[in-house]
Amino acid sequence: MALLLDIATTAALLFIVSAGLFVIFGVLKIINFAHAAWLTIGAYTTVVATKMGLSPWLSLPLAVLVGGLLGAVTEIAIVRPLYRRSLDAILATWGLGVVIVQVITLTFGRDMQMPPALITGTVDVLGLPYSSYRLFLLVAAVIMALAFVLVLERTRLGLNAQAVIMNETLARALGINTSRVRLVTFMLGSAIAALAGVLLTPLSSVDPTMGISWLIGAFMLVMVSGTSVTALALACLCFGAAQVLVSTWISPILGSVTVAVLCAVMLRLHPKGFARG
Amino acid sequence: MTDDRLVIEALTSGYGETDILQGATLTLRRGEILALMGRNGMGKTTLLKTVMGLIPTRGGRVSLDGVPINGKPPAWLLAQGVGYAPQELPLFQDLSIRDNLRLALRGDRDLATALKIVERNFPFLLERLDQLAGTLSGGEQKMLILSRALMTEPDILLIDEISEGIQPSVVQRIETALKAEREQRGVSILVVEQNLGFALGVADRWAVMKLGQIVDEGACDAASRETVLKHLSI
Amino acid sequence: MADRVHSSPKRGRLLTRHGTGLALLGLLTLALVLLGPLFLDRFTQNVLTRSMIYAMMAITVDLLWGYTGILTFGQSAFFGAGAYATALILTHVGGGAQNFALALVLSVILPMALAALVGWLSFYHKSTPLYASVISLVVPIVLSQAIFAGGSFTGSSSGLVGYPVMKLGAANYFRLAGVALILFAGLAWIIVRSDAGRVLIAIRDNPLRAAYLGIRTQRVQIILMTVLGGVAGLCGFLYANAGRIVAPEIAGFGFGTQMIVWTALGGRASIFGPALGAIGIDYLGAQLSGSMPYVWQLIIGVLFVVMILFMPRGLAGLLPRRQRTAAAPTLATLPDRPQESSKDALLSVTGLRKAYGNFVVLDGIELEVRPGELISVVGPNGAGKTTFLRCLSDGTETIQGTITLAGQNIAGRPPEDVVALGIGRKFQVASVFESMTVAECLRLARATHERPTLWNRASGIHLPSAALDILALTGLDKKLAEPVSGLSHGMRQSLELAMVVAMLPRLILLDEPTAGLTKAERTLIGEVLKRLTQELGYAAILIEHDLDFVKEISQRIVVLHQGRLVMDGPVEEVVNSELVRSIYSGMAHD
Repeated sequence: MALLLDIATTAALLFIVSAGLFVIFGVLKIINFAHAAWLTIGAYTTVVATKMGLSPWLSLPLAVLVGGLLGAVTEIAIVRPLYRRSLDAILATWGLGVVIVQVITLTFGRDMQMPPALITGTVDVLGLPYSSYRLFLLVAAVIMALAFVLVLERTRLGLNAQAVIMNETLARALGINTSRVRLVTFMLGSAIAALAGVLLTPLSSVDPTMGISWLIGAFMLVMVSGTSVTALALACLCFGAAQVLVSTWISPILGSVTVAVLCAVMLRLHPKGFARG
Repeated sequence: MTDDRLVIEALTSGYGETDILQGATLTLRRGEILALMGRNGMGKTTLLKTVMGLIPTRGGRVSLDGVPINGKPPAWLLAQGVGYAPQELPLFQDLSIRDNLRLALRGDRDLATALKIVERNFPFLLERLDQLAGTLSGGEQKMLILSRALMTEPDILLIDEISEGIQPSVVQRIETALKAEREQRGVSILVVEQNLGFALGVADRWAVMKLGQIVDEGACDAASRETVLKHLSI
Repeated sequence: MADRVHSSPKRGRLLTRHGTGLALLGLLTLALVLLGPLFLDRFTQNVLTRSMIYAMMAITVDLLWGYTGILTFGQSAFFGAGAYATALILTHVGGGAQNFALALVLSVILPMALAALVGWLSFYHKSTPLYASVISLVVPIVLSQAIFAGGSFTGSSSGLVGYPVMKLGAANYFRLAGVALILFAGLAWIIVRSDAGRVLIAIRDNPLRAAYLGIRTQRVQIILMTVLGGVAGLCGFLYANAGRIVAPEIAGFGFGTQMIVWTALGGRASIFGPALGAIGIDYLGAQLSGSMPYVWQLIIGVLFVVMILFMPRGLAGLLPRRQRTAAAPTLATLPDRPQESSKDALLSVTGLRKAYGNFVVLDGIELEVRPGELISVVGPNGAGKTTFLRCLSDGTETIQGTITLAGQNIAGRPPEDVVALGIGRKFQVASVFESMTVAECLRLARATHERPTLWNRASGIHLPSAALDILALTGLDKKLAEPVSGLSHGMRQSLELAMVVAMLPRLILLDEPTAGLTKAERTLIGEVLKRLTQELGYAAILIEHDLDFVKEISQRIVVLHQGRLVMDGPVEEVVNSELVRSIYSGMAHD
């Protein structure tokens, strides 16, 4: 039972961490290597907010704001000029990530920060005490996934984004401002990543390089999922399960690379990953 | 006030190293239907894409009612009342008919009005709004493409090979719709065509394109067919 | 074989004037490296020893990324594997000459084996550059996690320290690293300028064209990765001995990306740029990071982003690009492929059907082509003509039906194997190598017949007379030393055709070779095609819209309409048929 809960909540965590990267990759077709830095920034938003005496809950909207703004600047200054040089875009966003990590180090120092958690304690699930925060994450991931589907299916922005994903030339020919769709998408992706950073704080140590350890897993999950939310959810569940099982029965250190290795093997054998087709 | 609406002068454009258009000159007049013909690869589609701002202009100019429009993005042209029905990958196959139509409008407020216009020519589309565009037959897809362009009530309409690969009955419906739009609203239409019968049937004037240039043009009459066929060298 | 040469062209001299200058520079650097320890303090020696080892790593990254286009974050894994192999042997087995030898051998063999595996994973038919980069990220992460998981055997997070090392002293390690760097840089410099080096650049610039020239691009990439994995392992061996400590970070992806930074800042595809970039950044970093560690990293990060955005060629881009002074190579004549007297079909297609999902592009295609025949394929847009050529030249396309070429079923064979059976494909948009000269493109077309050497460039090119004719008729033979990027559209089309003919294929596939050409250029291509087929016995399949052109040059026309082969017959019959008239005037409906 505990194992099942672990699997579900690990999958939820993977989904939350990958979501921002997924949004950006889906529409812009570039891998945002500054993703790790956005996670870190989100976590430090909590640190700052709580030091200022604000409720940790307030850091959620705050992180969205900070992430969105930084995303806008990044899209205009770095991503847009490299639109047709996708491998260079990976490098430039990686470089940006390095810069952000150093700025954070210069501001806050290298030491681990311990912001107060959003929710503490445990609840009983069928008679078994389980971390209430991890259960909260499960709920958050489900809400996030539903929000994704709703935005894509029900809003004008979602429709425009779908149009750009499916056929950018036609979208442009129909008068859709594709560069604005890209900008908004990048902002949204960055905001979601910062939000994920806040949600990570009680589980992960908060230090300037914390984002890196999450980057590769998120990156690989997005690679196997393509542009489908369902595929991403499925990939998080499958590989999350594998990670929990390897960590429990073999070694936690090897568990941390399970996702990356399995995704790489899957892409080699079935290049389309979980995406249909 | 002159009757020349869209004036293309010595237009040059292309992809990579190649100039596909090599100084094409053509005028679309108020309220006329003009058929542009020519074999594959001669630059007809490229001409439409260049006018629509989808490919940058390399030389020459395009003007709309005397105002130069070179380099304007598609969104700007659409707002000025220039409609476009493309040929290559012209629909979002995995989206519904409704979403395909919505995407041609800037907001959803005008959707009801726009659907009325669709109903005027091709009412069957309204009964199947939730069907995926990719599941329509070839002819139905062409009617959807045309509806999408007509729905914003453009003054000028550029249509790329709308009759390609469809049955005569559908070609007939399209011809009727185009003629009706012209009668009712005085829209000027440029049709790029390979289907000689359809083109000469619907148009008032024809022009032939060869190797990126307009080599001949004239009014549609009994002799047009033989003249154009000769240009197509068959 | 028809490849026997008439005259044997001389090999180019290894040392051009430019080369002599560089050799002098190399000697000067060598002197500096040997004498350096007399002037430098011990700390500087140690730092520079490390920097020079890193410089070799940067060169391996440059060869992979800068020259061959493989963006790799994973060179650190091979470096780490070499360093750990050394440290583990010396820690657990002990010092002594034979153990140093064992460590040396293992530190090369293990990373090579690992690199071969990674190469096999990364490069396969239809793999993408992004996928190779992805794998290169995963490998160092897995390796460093494995080191973490190794407990006291690998030293886990604190690494291994205090193992016996070769007692050379700081000064001699400095000299050793310096000499190794100079040798490796010199070797790399020679190789990238050799004919084999052109193959790497061809793979970077246009992998599809390279494959259709018969070059086994994936094999070349895997071999390159394996060899450079060995070099990285050797660097790791040096590092573990000179530094006396190994830590998991050296195998990690952070270190891997650092090499990318050195390479990008120094200037990719310049060998010396990345080497100097590595030395400069690592040395300055060691000097400055004591006083302002994070600011230094910050500056490097900002510089890196700025470079990627505005100066993709890095600092090397500040130097003026060297004029290509290479003399135009001489052309030598090869005999053309002899007429094949056989009347058997060279190509036979039976029941070919190709569909994407529910969308059927081709259906029920039957076709036979004999030597010496020129067949034109006509049909309106979307009839499936280009798809048809792709199915003929790439056996990995999923199709129904069979395609046999020279008696062999091509099913499952990637383009380079189909090319080996005797197909040459000319693309619709001239597909040549943009950063090369005309002569270099032509030589690459001969790469499968005359193995390119690693050490120098042949000064002559052997071409069949038909290819020479194309060059002479278009004036390309006067432009051999000129870069392709400056050629007109027509010249490129002709060059690509000459390249295809130079491979001595039996069957040439041409996709609209006259699109966008002037009247004179079209006539010329027509003449060449007639001669190739009627006189020399090549077979050809030509996609063409211009029926006038088709009438002039071919004997047989095949009409494709909506994915079906609706007519196959002599030119006059087909051109005058009612069916073709109606298809072309848009009256045909099924």
